[in-house]
Amino acid sequence: MSLLRNLASGIRSLFRKEQVDRELDEELRGYEEMAAAEKMKQGMNRQEALRAVRLERGSVELSKEVVRSGGWEFLVETCWRDVRFAIRTLLKSPGFTAAVVLTLALGIGANTAIFTLIDAVMLKPLPVPKPAQLYRLGDNNRCCVFTGTQQDGGSFVLYSYQLYESLRDHTPEFSEVAAFTPWTADLSVRRGASAGEPYKGEYVSGNYFNTLGVLAFAGRLLAPSDDSAGAARVAVMNYHTWQRRFGLDPSVIGATLYINGAPCVIAGVTPPGFYGDTLRSDPPDFWMPLAADPEGWRLPNPGVEWLYLVGRLKSGLAAEPVQARLNVELQDWLNNHKEVIPERDRKEIPQQHVHLTPAIHGVEILQTDYETGLQLLVTLSALLLLIACANIANLLLARGSANRSQTAVRLALGAPRGRLIRQMLTESVVLALAGGAAGLYVAYTGTRAILLLAFRGANFIPIDARPSLPVLSFSVLLSLITGIVFGILPAWTASKSDPLEALRGVGRSTGDRSPILQKSLVIAQVAFSIVLLIGAGLVTQSLRNLEDQHFGFVTEGRLIVNIEPGLSGYTPEKLPALYQRLGEKMPRIPGILSASLSWYSPLSGSNSNERVLIQGKVPDYRFTAPSWDRVGPHYFETIGTRLLRGRVISERDKPGAPNVAVVNETFASRFFPNEDPIGQHFGMDTGHSGDYEIVGIAEDAKYQDTRGPAHATYFLPLLQTPPGESFRGWVGAIELHVAGRPENIEPAVRKTVASVDPNLTILHMMSFGEQVARNFNQERLIARLTELFGALALILACVGLYGVTAYAVARRTNEIGIRMALGADRGNVLGLVLRAALAQVGLGLAIGIPAALPGGLLLAHELYGVKSYDPMIFGFAAVILAGCAFLAASVPARRATRVDPIVALRYE
Amino acid sequence: MGDKSSDLVQGTLDMLVLKTLALEPMHGYGITVRIEQMSKGVSHVNPGSLFLAIQRLERDGLIKGEWKASENNRRAKCYVLTEKGRKRLNSETREWGRQAAAIERILEAS
Repeated sequence: MSLLRNLASGIRSLFRKEQVDRELDEELRGYEEMAAAEKMKQGMNRQEALRAVRLERGSVELSKEVVRSGGWEFLVETCWRDVRFAIRTLLKSPGFTAAVVLTLALGIGANTAIFTLIDAVMLKPLPVPKPAQLYRLGDNNRCCVFTGTQQDGGSFVLYSYQLYESLRDHTPEFSEVAAFTPWTADLSVRRGASAGEPYKGEYVSGNYFNTLGVLAFAGRLLAPSDDSAGAARVAVMNYHTWQRRFGLDPSVIGATLYINGAPCVIAGVTPPGFYGDTLRSDPPDFWMPLAADPEGWRLPNPGVEWLYLVGRLKSGLAAEPVQARLNVELQDWLNNHKEVIPERDRKEIPQQHVHLTPAIHGVEILQTDYETGLQLLVTLSALLLLIACANIANLLLARGSANRSQTAVRLALGAPRGRLIRQMLTESVVLALAGGAAGLYVAYTGTRAILLLAFRGANFIPIDARPSLPVLSFSVLLSLITGIVFGILPAWTASKSDPLEALRGVGRSTGDRSPILQKSLVIAQVAFSIVLLIGAGLVTQSLRNLEDQHFGFVTEGRLIVNIEPGLSGYTPEKLPALYQRLGEKMPRIPGILSASLSWYSPLSGSNSNERVLIQGKVPDYRFTAPSWDRVGPHYFETIGTRLLRGRVISERDKPGAPNVAVVNETFASRFFPNEDPIGQHFGMDTGHSGDYEIVGIAEDAKYQDTRGPAHATYFLPLLQTPPGESFRGWVGAIELHVAGRPENIEPAVRKTVASVDPNLTILHMMSFGEQVARNFNQERLIARLTELFGALALILACVGLYGVTAYAVARRTNEIGIRMALGADRGNVLGLVLRAALAQVGLGLAIGIPAALPGGLLLAHELYGVKSYDPMIFGFAAVILAGCAFLAASVPARRATRVDPIVALRYE
Repeated sequence: MGDKSSDLVQGTLDMLVLKTLALEPMHGYGITVRIEQMSKGVSHVNPGSLFLAIQRLERDGLIKGEWKASENNRRAKCYVLTEKGRKRLNSETREWGRQAAAIERILEAS
């Protein structure tokens, strides 16, 4: 009750200030009158009586002040007044305010953006109930289809369906174990008679959603009964897909869509925010049972390892004993299924094991890929924040000193010290909060920009760019702490100043006596900046080396069109006609210089390895299996790979004609070190070593790894299948060599493909350059951000140097005037100021450059074709920094030369 | 605000105002005069501290103010003790007696 009354009364005096004030005034005046009347009774006249009362009891105004200061509303009011005053003063020096707010916004924004990403990528668990119970059977991200024992010391990651069933059924510690494909598959989906459109899909075991604990948002999710050969085909749709591609149309649930040409009922929709088992760009649009896997040979074959497993431990169970049990089960199964392990590898069975790893974040592909990158970014943004804080400290200190005489006047006029400190603190906090608010904006746009850079080419990234609550509070706290810490210091020094001394003009100085603290801050800024600039130079050079390297093909004027005829209902016997029609029609598109088909194109993310047996030689298992690809006529000229010897694959290499192959240089030198490879034979299976005759040698080209050397590779004609080999003549890419910009021709290509077969879905189409560029997403992200951070650091350091120098010049105006009066010329003055400024820069460089050496070493394994101590880059960074610093310092230095001695001597 | 002020003088002034108003409703000046009379000139009451105390007591609901016409035809705010204020005065008086006795004992012991 009384608290309420108190609050109401306080609020009344806050908002009906005038009335409350009037009443108090009236009451006090009445009081004065009554007291005076008392005195007048004793014989004083009115004037004397009033004077006596005021002397005795104080004036009405004083009493009012006392009464007013008693309520809590007084504190609110003074704070509000302080804030308004702070805003007014800050607006009076817009340059200073803008510099501080911008600095804070960048420092806080960069950090908030990075922490938002870390929170979203590294810390956020899978959006499923009790994700901590989920464990993955495996510890790395090997993909995609393997056989036999597993590499990396036998840690099992990929499982056959049969091994999965055995582990699932014999490990009661798991309430469920789910299996799923590590990759997302391209799908062609159509509804009714419309043309097929490209989507992403994932094949999962029937208990997948039960294992994850996800409930349907609408309809139902998959059940184990859906995952059997005879079951009616169903699929589950991602909520995001339902929203974006189907407009949340409820009639989709239960409707039949044609997925890869086959009718399939949409059973239900997953809850919003669910993206599956792996955080990745373009998550699955559809989840389908493993039984619907289009490559039906994988499921029944216990020798094919192609599934990732995730299990849910029953609550309260520890992982270690389960892991031990799984190891026994795994080895037992392998011993009982000796046919899946080749003879020569059986001795490795005792080393095969399962490493149970927490799957609270799902399969950590993104996390592993971006771990180093994010760590680097955290370091960079922390450095930037340090520089920003140093800058703000410097600006506030300079301002505090510049306001010293003003403070002295206020102190002399009787302002209490506490009040002055509070006022200055309010100013810093206002600044900090403004900076923090601007920083949030920077953070939001920054996070989005980083995501776009990191996932170039993605349609959908299931990562929220909005800063989460912890991140938000983190950044607000950060800005407040910065404001308070760097507000207290100048406030304290200023309030300690002796008013008398300050008024006498002690602020004027001779010699460069700007406080040691400010100078050290500039030196630190320069040191941090040079480290960042060198880092930026190194990663930028590394990215340029990567992008401009000789790949063994030409990206300019090339367009890659991805198709998958199998998705549109093609069977092997229909393929020759399709390839023939494409081969005839594509080159006729105006502007096309040549066209070809292949299984996959370079650096597209696809790869296939298969061992070869050279006719007349003993099998050699020392090397990893060479890569292979299937290519059509004109392939090498279309992608710009040079033929070194022999001939390329041409129209005459049809099924039935002699089987031929083209190999690359590495293949030739590895398998035929001292012989001529042309005319030699090899095959892909025992007893078939004479299948293919080598007819040509092409230059090495990079298909998989952009950093290492090209793999040994052999190229086979599209449709040649020697007896005994299963048919594998599926085409996945059309390569086009175009005159002019490849993007310009896209509509014509779509039309032509549709004229060949309207059902043939184009999965994606992009220039060869873009396809290659997407291999460097992470490198580019790091390079661009390091450049950005380096540039910001440089700007901040220059602002800092400018501030300190300008401040020093202002303080030394008097001295400079005297020097000029005594005969110093402009050159002397310029030198005087610049020497002091450049000494700080030199010292900063002397500290920063050696510090960059170990920093570069940390980067060394990320760099391509550039040494971590590259003297050119070090020198270049130092020159840029010194140049900018010189410019920053020369502005106030020039101002110093324009000092008029007469004015300067009269100064203050 | 706080029920018990650690500031003895302030707390005392609050109590003295309550005591004065317990006798009869009164305006600010009247309270001053009465307190100064009763203490035989020992206590001096400034209007600042007095009205601060009045504001505090009013906010705590111990007294109630009302504008009335005064003797010389001016409007003056007249204060009345509320029921809550009377109870508070009783408890404070008891507490004061207890503490004063305690202090006296301590002072005499030495």
